[in-house]
Amino acid sequence: MKLLLWVPFFIFPALVQSNFILTIFIFSFILAIAAVSFNLIFGFTGQLSMFHAAAFGIAAYTTSLTVSIFQVSFWVALLPAICFTIVLSLVIGSICFKFKLRAFYFAVVTLAFSELARLVILNWNNVTNGTLGLMVLDKPSVWLPVGGMVKIDGAVGWYFFSLAALIFTVALCSLVLRSWIGRCFAAIRLNEDLAQTLGIDIFRYKLLSFTLANALAAIAGSLYAFYTGYIEPNYLSINQSLDIISMVLLGGRSSIIGPIAGAFVLTGLPHMIDLSGETRAMLYGLVLILTILIMPQGVIGTLATWRRAA
Amino acid sequence: MLLEVIELTKRFGGLTALSDVSFAIGTGEIVGIFGPNGSGKTTLLNLITGILAPSAGRILWKSTEIQGQSPHVIAAAGVVKTFQNPQLFLELSIYDNVAIASHLRLRRQYGLRRLAELLPWRDAARHSEVMQRVDRILALCRLDSVRERTAAGLSYGQEKMLGVAMAMMCEPDLLLLDEPASGLGEDEIRTLEEVLRDLRGAATTLCVIDHKVDFLARVADRAIALQQGLMIAQGAPAEVLHHPRVIEAYLGRHHARA
Repeated sequence: MKLLLWVPFFIFPALVQSNFILTIFIFSFILAIAAVSFNLIFGFTGQLSMFHAAAFGIAAYTTSLTVSIFQVSFWVALLPAICFTIVLSLVIGSICFKFKLRAFYFAVVTLAFSELARLVILNWNNVTNGTLGLMVLDKPSVWLPVGGMVKIDGAVGWYFFSLAALIFTVALCSLVLRSWIGRCFAAIRLNEDLAQTLGIDIFRYKLLSFTLANALAAIAGSLYAFYTGYIEPNYLSINQSLDIISMVLLGGRSSIIGPIAGAFVLTGLPHMIDLSGETRAMLYGLVLILTILIMPQGVIGTLATWRRAA
Repeated sequence: MLLEVIELTKRFGGLTALSDVSFAIGTGEIVGIFGPNGSGKTTLLNLITGILAPSAGRILWKSTEIQGQSPHVIAAAGVVKTFQNPQLFLELSIYDNVAIASHLRLRRQYGLRRLAELLPWRDAARHSEVMQRVDRILALCRLDSVRERTAAGLSYGQEKMLGVAMAMMCEPDLLLLDEPASGLGEDEIRTLEEVLRDLRGAATTLCVIDHKVDFLARVADRAIALQQGLMIAQGAPAEVLHHPRVIEAYLGRHHARA
């Protein structure tokens, strides 16, 4: 049943030929991957990680640099990017969780690590080109039953490519969350002390959640870099982290698909009303405050409650 | 001996909560620990289950030292406790609470084969026998009628039974119950006694802490009395209850002399 929800997305490009609208969808899909994966650690495991944008940005840089230095394809470069993100997550996660950092302490320490990563990228001029950022000229290729290997270019190609990546992310998250791993995440979120006395190794499962979330953010970051063709240190900024948090809070953090709705609203809305940067930031803030006040469970959470009540 | 506690001491700053307590629990026993409030009962359980680290002394579980280990390691080794004030996953249903508690059981039985659970086509049939056990425990603890309700909506007695149900789902070798009968009505206490009998049938060793002396006298084979962090008596429940120092601790010096 749930699979049917995706069908309209596949028909959509046939109905709407506007590149402008397709572009908004592509950005929404890619940022939705970041938001859905962030919700693994935030919504489902209850840990406010501020490292998500850093994982996104570090992977974007790693993939792009690997492609340009070693002249390999996107797919070959994606692998070291994900592995590097996993190693970083294991190190940072181990430090945070060994010291039993909870709530704000965890947020602050992960934020410090993410600022550290941003400053390294900002100042490592001869590799990262500092503030100016890097152009990413290559595009990923995929194998299609008709036409063999095709370079993904143009809005329709990227639309389906990013949609497929989002579906992959959602599928992976749902499989993990319905398993014993998801039960351990919930136990940690709801009552750590009880989880421990039931034999759940909270260090291990927090680390797993943090690492898995960051690895998926790495995919989103790499896609984002190759889609926009440009990377800059701001990918790792706190603003990017806050955007992702806003998407999750707006869409609802108790469901897997909630953050997708949030990503669509916060990516699409500012473009639709065509606002300047400052007003856009104000809108972000306003929408977020109103949502938290009126719908603390987020858009999808509130809809689900209404449906149950009806 | 299953569990040996040797000269266990716990100090919180200047306060000595437990001082030089030594005792042992053998396989299959039901041991009752009682004492007035503040006598160090809960501290003792927290030390055994690794929630607190002792200031001095040793705890041997199946002849291996376990003091200072993480709670999850001790739980995995087979020592599980319930909480005096029930600790639950309040947002989840009763069923899900007990399902989470199946963690150790699944790990023991399946190990890395649990990864098969991640396959998309392995949905309905996953670990059905373990889930049947969830159903059985819910029935035993008289919680099957409210299984879909969230844990936040339970009565106090049901909360306590859910705590016991979750501990049972861990299939411990030694189950430590922290005041299981406090706040329960007569009916609920009878259910609890039934559950304890069932646990004993399943070869679970029990250690029950309570200050309801008559309840302990009914269920325990052996009793240990604590007062202000010191062990003042141990032996058969009837003997311990009539021990002069126990009477003094409970009723004051005047009654002890009388």
